[in-house]
Amino acid sequence: MRVLKFGGSSLATQEKRRTAEELVRACRRDEAVVVVVSALDGMTELLEEVGTAAAAGDRTCVHRFLAEIRERHEGSDMALLAELEHVLFGLAAIGEITPRTRDLVLSFGERLSAPLFAAELGPEAQAFDGKQAGIVTDERWGEASPLREVTRFEVSRRLRPPLDAGRIPVVTGFVGATQHGAYTTLGRGGSDFTATLIGAALGAAEVWLCSDVDGIKAANPKIVPDARRLDTISFLEALEIVQFGAKGIHPRALEPAIEHNIPVRIVNTAHPDRGATVIGARRASDDAHVAGSVHLVEDVALLTVAGAAMVGRPGTAARVFQTIADAGINILMISQSVSEAGISIALRRRQADRARAALEGALVRTGYVRGIIVEEDMSIIAIVGEGMRGTPGVAARVFGAVARAGINVVAIAQGSSELSISFVVSASQGHSAVRALYAELVS
Amino acid sequence: MRILIVGFGVVGQATVGLLAEQRSRLAQQHGLNPRIVGVVNSTGAITSTKELDVAALLGGELPWTRGRSALEVISQVEADVVIEAGPTSLADPGAGIERLQAAFRTGKHAISVNKAPLAVAMPPLLELARYNGVQFRFSGTVGGGTPFLDWAARCADGDEVLGMRGILNGTTNYILTQMRREMPFDVALAEAQRKGYAEADPTMDIDGIDSAIKLVILANTVLGRRAVLSDVSVTGIRGLRLGTDNVRLLAEVGETLSVAPRHIDRGSPLDVSGTLNALSVLLRNGGEVTLVGRGAGGPETATSVVRDLISIWHSHWTNR
Repeated sequence: MRVLKFGGSSLATQEKRRTAEELVRACRRDEAVVVVVSALDGMTELLEEVGTAAAAGDRTCVHRFLAEIRERHEGSDMALLAELEHVLFGLAAIGEITPRTRDLVLSFGERLSAPLFAAELGPEAQAFDGKQAGIVTDERWGEASPLREVTRFEVSRRLRPPLDAGRIPVVTGFVGATQHGAYTTLGRGGSDFTATLIGAALGAAEVWLCSDVDGIKAANPKIVPDARRLDTISFLEALEIVQFGAKGIHPRALEPAIEHNIPVRIVNTAHPDRGATVIGARRASDDAHVAGSVHLVEDVALLTVAGAAMVGRPGTAARVFQTIADAGINILMISQSVSEAGISIALRRRQADRARAALEGALVRTGYVRGIIVEEDMSIIAIVGEGMRGTPGVAARVFGAVARAGINVVAIAQGSSELSISFVVSASQGHSAVRALYAELVS
Repeated sequence: MRILIVGFGVVGQATVGLLAEQRSRLAQQHGLNPRIVGVVNSTGAITSTKELDVAALLGGELPWTRGRSALEVISQVEADVVIEAGPTSLADPGAGIERLQAAFRTGKHAISVNKAPLAVAMPPLLELARYNGVQFRFSGTVGGGTPFLDWAARCADGDEVLGMRGILNGTTNYILTQMRREMPFDVALAEAQRKGYAEADPTMDIDGIDSAIKLVILANTVLGRRAVLSDVSVTGIRGLRLGTDNVRLLAEVGETLSVAPRHIDRGSPLDVSGTLNALSVLLRNGGEVTLVGRGAGGPETATSVVRDLISIWHSHWTNR
C-alpha cells in the first residue's frame, strides 16, 4: 500500500490534476493507493482572507470570493459550497471569527479539493474529509495534534474496507476533527502530516510527497547551480534539514514515519522518473560525502547579551530565554562561551527590535546585564550530514574552507547529535560561504 | 458516586446485587456511596436522576423505556462511572468500543468487563481515557475475582517483568484435567457444558481466543506493549489427543505472544487443576512468582467491578 500526497501546486489547474491522476493510476498498477490532497493552490490563503473579511462584515468580499471558489471547484461537491456560504454569512452576522470557526473555514479548502480530485480520478475514487477518515485531534485550534493511537485505530477502521473493496480513498490533508466532531487543522504544511499518519495507520510501504520539486537538493540551486540531489537521507538528517525550510516537507510529518519506519519519498508530480529523495531509516552506505547538504538561513540578526554581572550567576540564561519566549519570538541558534561573558542569540531580523526591547526592559533596566548588542544583516549557515558523526577533523575542514574564502565566522553552534554544525556570518558573505562549503564537503 | 450499567445480564445483575449487599461496608471503610442511576441494554433503558430502587430493579418491577440506545443514554445521563458489561462479541467489537468512547468523551470513568473492545482497541481506548482525564479499569477481564492484573502491575513497579505465562481459561483447564484422566475431548467438553463451565458454543474457550485476549490485556497493562488480538499466535485444544502427558493451554508473553497447549511439569506452580487459573510473572530480580485463583463467573466478576469502583473512587475523589 502506498500513500500519495499532492500539494496545492500539483492541483492548481485541471491540467495539473490530470498529471497527478496519471501518477495515481500508474502507482495503482503495482499496489493499493490512498491519495491525500492539499487545497488548490492559494485557496488556504484566500479562505483566511475571506474569513477575516466576513467577520469584519464585508459581505461584498464574501460574494466575490464565493464566485471565485465556485468557478475553481467546478465539479466538486456543491452542497459543501452552500455550507461554506452559510458559515461565512454566519460570521458576518456575528461579526467575529474565533480560532475554532477559523479552522472550520480553512477546512473547506481541502474539503472542496478532495471531492473534485476524486470525481476527476474516476468512479473507483471516494472522497473522505479528515473527520470521515478518522483523524482525531486535540482542541488546539490552528495547530492541532492528533491523538496518535485513536487516529491509528480509526483511520484503519474507516479506510480499510474501501481499500479492500478496490477503491481509492482521496483524503483531505491538513484537516482533522476533535472527538466531538468539530473540524481542526494541523498547521501549515499539515497535509504531509496527514499522509504519514495515514501511512502509519495502514502500514504503508512508502509515503510519497508529490510537489513541483525533484527531491531535496544538497544546496539551494540558486546559489550552487549544479547542486546535486540528495538521493537518500536518514530520518535524523531530514529532521535537521526541514528546520532550515527545505521545500517540500512539514517537520512533524516525519514523526509517524520514524515511529513506524516508513520511507518518505519526495517526488516531482510531473516527472516522477527524474529521481527523488528518499528519507528512510538509513542513508545509502556507498555515499562517501562527509556532509550531506549545506543550508543558508537569510534575514537573521545576532543579538548578544553582554555583561560582567552575568558571570557565575545562575539563572541568567534562563531569564534571557524566558524574556524572549514571553515576547513570542522563536530562537534560531544559541551560543555561549564558558567564560559566560556573553550569550549570543540568532533570530529572525524582523523580530530583533522586539527582542531587544524586551531584554532591555527586563534585564538591562534591572542591572542584570550591561547591554544588548544587535548585529543585523547576518545569515546562518548550516551543514547537515550523517557522515559528520564520529568523523574527526570535520570542524577543521569546515572552518578552514570558510577561512580560505576570507569569511569571518561570528558565532558557532554544534548540536550534540553531531549531525549538524551551524554558524553565523555576515549576510554579504552568506552565498560565498555556502559555495565554499559545498565545494569542500559535498561535491 | 453515580453509576450507569450497560448490559444487564449475569454480571450486570450480580454487580447491582453486590453493591446493595456491601452498601454499609463501602460507606464505612471507603466513604463510598454508589448510586445506580441507570441500566441500559440492547432493548431499552431504565434511568433516574437520583437513584434506582435496587430491590425493584432486581425484582423486575421497574418499567423499561424501549428503544433508547446505549450511546444516547451514556452521553445524556449524568453519571460518574459507566460499567460496560455488554456481551463479549468478537464479531462486532465496535459497539462496545463506541460505548466506551462515548463515556470518555463525556467525561465519565469506565469499567469494562467486556473483553471484546480490549481485544482489538486497547491502545486507543487507554489514550482517549488519558486525554479526557478519566479512569479506565478492567480488572475483571483477566481472572475475574482474582486480581491478576493489579497484582502483576504491582510486581512491575519495583522490578522488571521479563515475561509472563499463565493458565487464563478455566473451561479448557477443566477439559484438559479430565482428559488427563483418559476422558476423550468430546466427552470432557460435553461434561464441562453440562456443569455450566462451558458455553453452548464453546469456540471462544477451546480455540484459545479467550486466553489470547487476556494475554493482550496483560501485555498492554503490565508491559506497556501496543498489542492487539491479531498479534497473538493461537492454537486451541479442539480435537486434541493426550496420553498421560500433563498438558495445559498456556498463554505466554515474552518477545512474542502465544497461546498453545504445552507440557507443564507436575508439581510446578502452574500445574493447577479443574477450573482454576494461574499466572506466573518472571521478574529480573524476584524470579518467578505465581498467583492462583478462580477465574470468571458472575459473582466473582462482580467483585472485580466493586474493586475497580473503589480504586476509581480513591484515585479520583479522595487522597488515599
